[in-house]
Amino acid sequence: MAGRGRGRGRRLMTFSVEAVGINRGDSLPPSIQQPTPVYPVMEQKPLPLTGGEEAEYLLALKQEFRGAMKTLPSFIQPAAALRDVERYSDKYHSGEQNDALMDWTPDWKRFPKELRVRRPATDCVSAVSRSDRVQSSQKKKQVKEKEEVLLKLETLEKKEERGSSGEEEEEQGEEKKKKQEEEEADAEEEYDEEEFEEETDYIMSYFDNGEEFGGDSDENMDEAIY
Amino acid sequence: MTAQEVRLCGLLLREHFGELVEKVGTHLLRSGAQNLRTLIHETGISLDLVKKSLCVLVQHGVCVFSAGRKGPGSPTEYLTSSDHILRILRYPRYIYTAKTLYGDTGELIIEELLQRGDMTMSSTVKTVADRLTQNMEDGHSMDYSEVSNAFSKLVETHFLQRCPPMAAAGKKESTTSATPATPGTPAVPVSTAPPSAESFPDCYRVPHVTLTGRGKRQLSSEDGEDQRNAKKARMDTETHGDEGIYWQVNFERFHLHFRDQAIISAVANKLGQTSSEIVRTMLRMSEVTTSPTATCTKPLSANEIFRSLPNSYSIARPILDQYLTLLVDDPMEFVGKAGESGGGMFVVNLHRALANLARATIESVVQERFGSRSARIFRLLLRKRHLEQKQVEDFAMIPAKEAKDMLYTLLSQNLVQLQEIPKTPDYAPSRTFYLYTVNQLPTARMLLQNCYKTVANLIERRLFETKDSKRLLEKSQRIEAILASLQASGAEPEQLSEVEEMITASEKQQLASLRLHINKLDSAENQVDETIFLLESYVNSTATAAS
Repeated sequence: MAGRGRGRGRRLMTFSVEAVGINRGDSLPPSIQQPTPVYPVMEQKPLPLTGGEEAEYLLALKQEFRGAMKTLPSFIQPAAALRDVERYSDKYHSGEQNDALMDWTPDWKRFPKELRVRRPATDCVSAVSRSDRVQSSQKKKQVKEKEEVLLKLETLEKKEERGSSGEEEEEQGEEKKKKQEEEEADAEEEYDEEEFEEETDYIMSYFDNGEEFGGDSDENMDEAIY
Repeated sequence: MTAQEVRLCGLLLREHFGELVEKVGTHLLRSGAQNLRTLIHETGISLDLVKKSLCVLVQHGVCVFSAGRKGPGSPTEYLTSSDHILRILRYPRYIYTAKTLYGDTGELIIEELLQRGDMTMSSTVKTVADRLTQNMEDGHSMDYSEVSNAFSKLVETHFLQRCPPMAAAGKKESTTSATPATPGTPAVPVSTAPPSAESFPDCYRVPHVTLTGRGKRQLSSEDGEDQRNAKKARMDTETHGDEGIYWQVNFERFHLHFRDQAIISAVANKLGQTSSEIVRTMLRMSEVTTSPTATCTKPLSANEIFRSLPNSYSIARPILDQYLTLLVDDPMEFVGKAGESGGGMFVVNLHRALANLARATIESVVQERFGSRSARIFRLLLRKRHLEQKQVEDFAMIPAKEAKDMLYTLLSQNLVQLQEIPKTPDYAPSRTFYLYTVNQLPTARMLLQNCYKTVANLIERRLFETKDSKRLLEKSQRIEAILASLQASGAEPEQLSEVEEMITASEKQQLASLRLHINKLDSAENQVDETIFLLESYVNSTATAAS
């Protein structure tokens, strides 16, 4: 009410203009019609970063820590990124990545019961058909048999090297290990040799896309390479 | 849980644990305590993946689970808090502190524990010994006992603590074996709050562990041998007498250490090296007697301080008295006098020191953003509390027009507030006083949120830069791998130079500038974290003082 007569036009404000210091005749800053710019011009430039040994060491620590966390089993990879074109070799490459996940078995007593994961999650993410499951169980039996053969070979080797004192421990260890394997059935699949995966007769490097530059230097330069 | 905090936590989780954990974690942060079914339903992720993410979060202490609120039968609920996640920013500083205090061994122990969340003493000792052996020359290896010693020292000074036992959280079974019940757990297995580590009476007791041996060097020979080692590691089921006792890093203790460092360096900057040594001695003497939330240390007599000064700083007794008087009279009020017995009783005023440090931080922010004259106005308002516009101009000795401008800029940035004092009950504008004022605590909170936003922006920019040059980075990584394998198999220099030339000069330049940018962004994050620590400590200290 009080301001109606006087403040006609633009300058009608709820507080007394004199008290805050806007005198008559002063031009107000122009009213803003759009949001402020995203990167406004700074009148004062910011200070440079502190350098020095300590800062560099902290920087190195930080980057190493980040890199190390990426390799740990607690870094959960999302489902493998879909490539632009589906390739035939994808079927044979998908098993390789999941080993790191299986390394970490937490102490389940410290977690609530409902979080216990018995089977690995690999099957859930990609579409699994029943035939795949049947094949994988068959393959597991094959793998187990072949692993037993491998183990026996290794123990024989060790026996030759070490003699009888270590033998008993190793046998016990072997039994323990077999029991562990049976309990943690899926978690312990180790693909020692690439030949035992997925009933192929080819080694895994057969399915290489050629995307990795093979920088192997051949030691035998005598024979010609075709 | 402000929006900025949630955004920053999401980015940190993504960098360290992957996108899946980020999704689950941010959802829990936004919605509070939830049970598993609701979580799966609302995030839309499959059951197994959610379980895995929750395991990772619980393992690292980010998420706590407790029995449901509706009674003993209800499902367990998971609660996340942003404090733990925001601490990830400070991990390099913790590791560096451990290095300065306990050498490389301490550094690696803390690093392992931070990476894994919690571990038993025996597994920590073994891993650290192996890592140290890797870096030593051939033929040498690290003994387990040395590492155990370092571990025990860390526990004695409270830098490490035992993880609290899971006392019947959400289950009807009894607590895990070999742990005494915490004093707060009632008979009914529904506890209102999860037991903190401090309430566990044995939390700093080192268990008796039988660990003999030396670190193993990882053999880089054929693959078969590695496989055998891997198998052997899993067969290694020897118990060391400390099963079920997990250790975690005690962040509060590190924070107290950082706070003490900040006070000592502030005194050194203002009053000189000798005064800072005196304050350092006082803080060291009261390390064990002061509780973390205490306002000031216990009173120390001048005689005790004199006896405990380090030998390299032998000053005469009357000189010490003079220094102490100087410290007490200083307007920053780091040290106060609490009595006359024993040659004078002195305390270090911790909360007041933190408040002064926070005030100095805020003042320097204003100075760097708006110039030294605006900073003068700001400091004036901090000291004089409430001033009218005219008085501001007079006291600051700045011409009216400029003072007005600066005040309005500060007002629009919310660093300065207007307080209305009416003369009449109807708040008529012509009959009201308008006073400018600065409130330190809300301003500190606002700057803290700004810091969180800053760090989040820095991380996003870094991720953007890496994604932009992903192709280039991958190519350079591949070339490095090829070079390494060539060198390992003893190739000739021509082959090496040929492979090196696969990266063109302009690409090399691009890579160099990319590396420079990423390093700058990373070390900027570290620096902003120092400010975050100061402001957070100040805000927390006022919170505890008020309650």
